[in-house]
Amino acid sequence: MNFKKQFSEGLLSKNPVLVQLLGLCSVLAITTSLFNGIGMGLSVTVILICSNVLISALRKVIPSQIRIAAYIVIIASFVTIVDLVLQAFIPDLSESLGVFIPLIVVNCIVLGRAEAFASKNGVLASAVDGLCQGIGYTVALVIMCVIRELLGSGTFGGGILNNGEGIRIIPEGYPAMQMVMPVGGFLTLGFVIAGFQWYTRHSRNKKQKEAAK
Amino acid sequence: MKTQSTALYILRLALTLLIITGVMAALLAAVNLVTAPIIAGLQAEKTQQAIQAVLPGGGEEIAFTDKTGTVSTVYGSDTGYAVEVAPIGFDGAITMMVGIDKDGNVLGISIISHTETAGLGAVAAAKTSAGENFRGQFVGLNGSVAVSKDGGTVEAITGATITSRAVCEGINAALACVADLG
Repeated sequence: MNFKKQFSEGLLSKNPVLVQLLGLCSVLAITTSLFNGIGMGLSVTVILICSNVLISALRKVIPSQIRIAAYIVIIASFVTIVDLVLQAFIPDLSESLGVFIPLIVVNCIVLGRAEAFASKNGVLASAVDGLCQGIGYTVALVIMCVIRELLGSGTFGGGILNNGEGIRIIPEGYPAMQMVMPVGGFLTLGFVIAGFQWYTRHSRNKKQKEAAK
Repeated sequence: MKTQSTALYILRLALTLLIITGVMAALLAAVNLVTAPIIAGLQAEKTQQAIQAVLPGGGEEIAFTDKTGTVSTVYGSDTGYAVEVAPIGFDGAITMMVGIDKDGNVLGISIISHTETAGLGAVAAAKTSAGENFRGQFVGLNGSVAVSKDGGTVEAITGATITSRAVCEGINAALACVADLG
């Protein structure tokens, strides 16, 4: 097990959103304020860790013919638990994420990691994988949220800072409302992925040049 | 011999899935046992706050008749009524409480939950000045209300008036329901 490698994979080279392009539905839908992004990111991270651990622990017990059905049952249960806990203890977040919490069941990141990693690796490695992929997902969400919230509502930290109104950076009336609507989600995601690709390619080229010297 | 082992294998598949499902169901039941009363309490508190906001002093649940199908509950007191309605907005039901006095005038409205578009229809429920202005214009109205585009007095929040029309529809249902109560 290599924690550093798993961490850099989750965050950069195998980032679930920006490289694997998984779970885009929730990424496009909820990234309208920082509160939503962090809340959704942490919820998915908790679910990923729990389902990865349990699926990894049961990987020798579950016959391969029924593995998908078993994974879905396990994932759906953890999602429901998180949904109930949020409703009971953080009702504001539960209200603002709405249907997207139950929809984590069909978020392909969770099933993808179960199939690609947890079903083949040990419990501890799977827990770390869940954590790292979850962090990668959260970071991607937060980047999207900050850009869309700033351009669409003109604020930073909506839902958390300044009594939930966020710190106003662009005066009211100027922000482009479209940025918090679906069209802004697609635009932002495209630019973020492009920027991310440019950055990884740029740093790879630099390393190769240095190695060539 | 072969058929028997296949049958056993299928049985093993089914049993494995049954055990996993059973264990997860038990886990869910345990979590639900803890969270269900808290969630119910929060919802009741929210409804109470909404009643207090539109009908000072609150009220008791009373029987009612409704022809529109949008009224879900009516609370009554000596001063008036708080009617819970759920008209359909742009994206699902807008659950709201409408306060109406004994003479059939709107005392105020309070939106409990909605799924309107952020920045557009959602302004109707927002705690901002725009939201308060929108909700404030219903106070004192009676009979039936409509947005200015439909010949009424209500300034809609957006040009499309979908959310504003839904709110008007809910208020009209509440007014009609209270009128029937006499």
